[in-house]
Amino acid sequence: MKKVLFVSLILCFIGGTALAAGTVKIGLMGPMTGAWASEGQEMKQVLDLLADELNKEGGLLGKKVEILSEDDSGDPRQAALAAQRLSTRDIVAVVGTYGSSITEASQNIYDESEIIQVANGSTAVRLSEKGLKYFFRTCPRDDEQGKVAAQTVEKLGFKNVAILHDNTSYAKGLADEAKGLLEKKGINIVFYEALTPGERDFNAILTKLKAAKPDGVLFTGYYPEAGLILRQAKDMGWNVPFIGGDATNHPDLVKIAGKDSAAGFYFLTAPLPKDLDTAEAKSFVAAYKKKYGGAPNSIYAVLAGDGFRVVVEAIKTTGSTDPDKVADYLHTKLKDFPGLTGKISFNEKGDRVGEVYRVYKVDAQGQFILQP
Amino acid sequence: MEQFFQQLTNGLAVGGIYALIALGYTMVYGVLKLINFAHGDLFTFGAYLGLTLLTSLALHKHLGPFLGVLLLAVMTMGLVGVMGIILDRVAYRPLRESPRLSAVVSALGASIFLQNTVMLIYGARFQVYPQNILPKIVINLFGLPIPLMRVLILLTSVVMMAALYFFIQKTKIGTAIRAAAIDQGAARLMGINVDQVIMIVFLVGPALGGAAGLMVGLYYGQINFTMGWVYGLKAFTAAILGGIGNIPGAMVGGILLGVIEALGAAYISIAWKDGIAFLVLILILIVRPTGLLGERVAEKI
Repeated sequence: MKKVLFVSLILCFIGGTALAAGTVKIGLMGPMTGAWASEGQEMKQVLDLLADELNKEGGLLGKKVEILSEDDSGDPRQAALAAQRLSTRDIVAVVGTYGSSITEASQNIYDESEIIQVANGSTAVRLSEKGLKYFFRTCPRDDEQGKVAAQTVEKLGFKNVAILHDNTSYAKGLADEAKGLLEKKGINIVFYEALTPGERDFNAILTKLKAAKPDGVLFTGYYPEAGLILRQAKDMGWNVPFIGGDATNHPDLVKIAGKDSAAGFYFLTAPLPKDLDTAEAKSFVAAYKKKYGGAPNSIYAVLAGDGFRVVVEAIKTTGSTDPDKVADYLHTKLKDFPGLTGKISFNEKGDRVGEVYRVYKVDAQGQFILQP
Repeated sequence: MEQFFQQLTNGLAVGGIYALIALGYTMVYGVLKLINFAHGDLFTFGAYLGLTLLTSLALHKHLGPFLGVLLLAVMTMGLVGVMGIILDRVAYRPLRESPRLSAVVSALGASIFLQNTVMLIYGARFQVYPQNILPKIVINLFGLPIPLMRVLILLTSVVMMAALYFFIQKTKIGTAIRAAAIDQGAARLMGINVDQVIMIVFLVGPALGGAAGLMVGLYYGQINFTMGWVYGLKAFTAAILGGIGNIPGAMVGGILLGVIEALGAAYISIAWKDGIAFLVLILILIVRPTGLLGERVAEKI
């Protein structure tokens, strides 16, 4: 009996690997649990949808595409483990992940295993300054965003600006970038401090901010805190304009703040799917709505979809899953690829080139309106 | 000066919530010498159950805002209290005779379990309480605008603390709880049903945590499944600060922690406010190792 079990186990194993050899495997590393679970789960939905569509059209190089997802919990230590697990599973490329510090923990593991990594939400500048050959990202960098933030502040005519970040590597990086640029333009930084993410009461911070008398506040943290700050500022009866970074771009911002508190809030982001009039974006949003019953909430999930699509494009065109060939194609030959978030090309560092950031403003109905 | 008083009221509101959660830690510790790490997640459950009841029953529409919220609070507290009893049955009672460390590990496990249960039931996205359940009234106190909600939070905490103190000091069950806190074996010999005492402790402590969850939901609006971690940690600190196992101590510790945080943020640095709060904790523990009000070792709780 034991022998039979053993043999059948072996057979299963052989069968399993033989079956798996018939697919092109692409990894997804994202925060499926933890504080950013909503982002990770949506990333998975987007990739599942795109892989399904691709497989219906005949797959890739005559094989089916398989998505292998691992959870990084939004935690650098988990990310290192997830990266190790994925890199032993014979994947060509991996899409993800969201936070910069999380991506950073996994970069070298993928690089050593010669796996293409396309990050979707990690905007910290230094990630692509390490000379890693297989690293790409579909999101822009914080220095680009800092530039747009400084331009926006100048355009709105603020003379005294308060900057508030949350000490994460993304938020602090962006805050520093913007601070340097604003000071060069001769704009006073009257307040520069960090809050603690995950807390709910920012009245103490707002009381102090108000006393600094800024013309506008630049908040570089994430949407849960931004929503609460807007709401609590409104409750204090303080109507100062707030500008947020791209991590505040989420429909839940309006839900948390309430429409009347969120109205008038500016934020910088890659254009939203609804504002892209390309055929790709429209058919993607329609397909997503059909499958999951609502438009995607997070731009980063859509950027993960773009990561998947450029990898597929590279494999399709080169006819190979060799990481060197794929990386070379992405670096040098992929030009103005019609992505879900606009045209995509990469430079030699693996960064997405071109002007990506737009300025949005929340209107009285809680809609995100693209600013000219 | 106006800023000082403004910050003081900011701190008192935050501190009131810390205090309410800290009571749960302190009660369980007083009787079982166990840090119930899952308490923060019961608090999260309070916030979520409150939201579910609020949106499904819409009591505030039928009964008016204040009565509706009061009834809502009673229901939430009841449900979270029952969850506390189940938690004790499943995670702690089987380990009553085991070394204390086993129960602590079980508590950590229960915390992870509960947190992920909330995520699986309600989803990972932030949930938001409907706005303006309670009318936004701003009281003018000596020229200082104070939202009514903040006064209510502090008032509710103080009233609940006082009721709990009365319950522990003046009632028969309270006497039994105090007896079990001092010596379980002797209490048993005196004919006290210690298991029942522990059950009551696990009903009352989590119920107060659940009430705090509901209050956070109503006041701040935004809740998510990881919220119990930050509040749990702060409330635990508050309980230690005031002297763990001591009920007025938890109250004093909570309010003090809130005020230290607010004033630290205002006058030193926002990024350092937690550092300042914990520095004060260390200093107090150096001078008074049992916490501010924790001197009566013989008669804890």
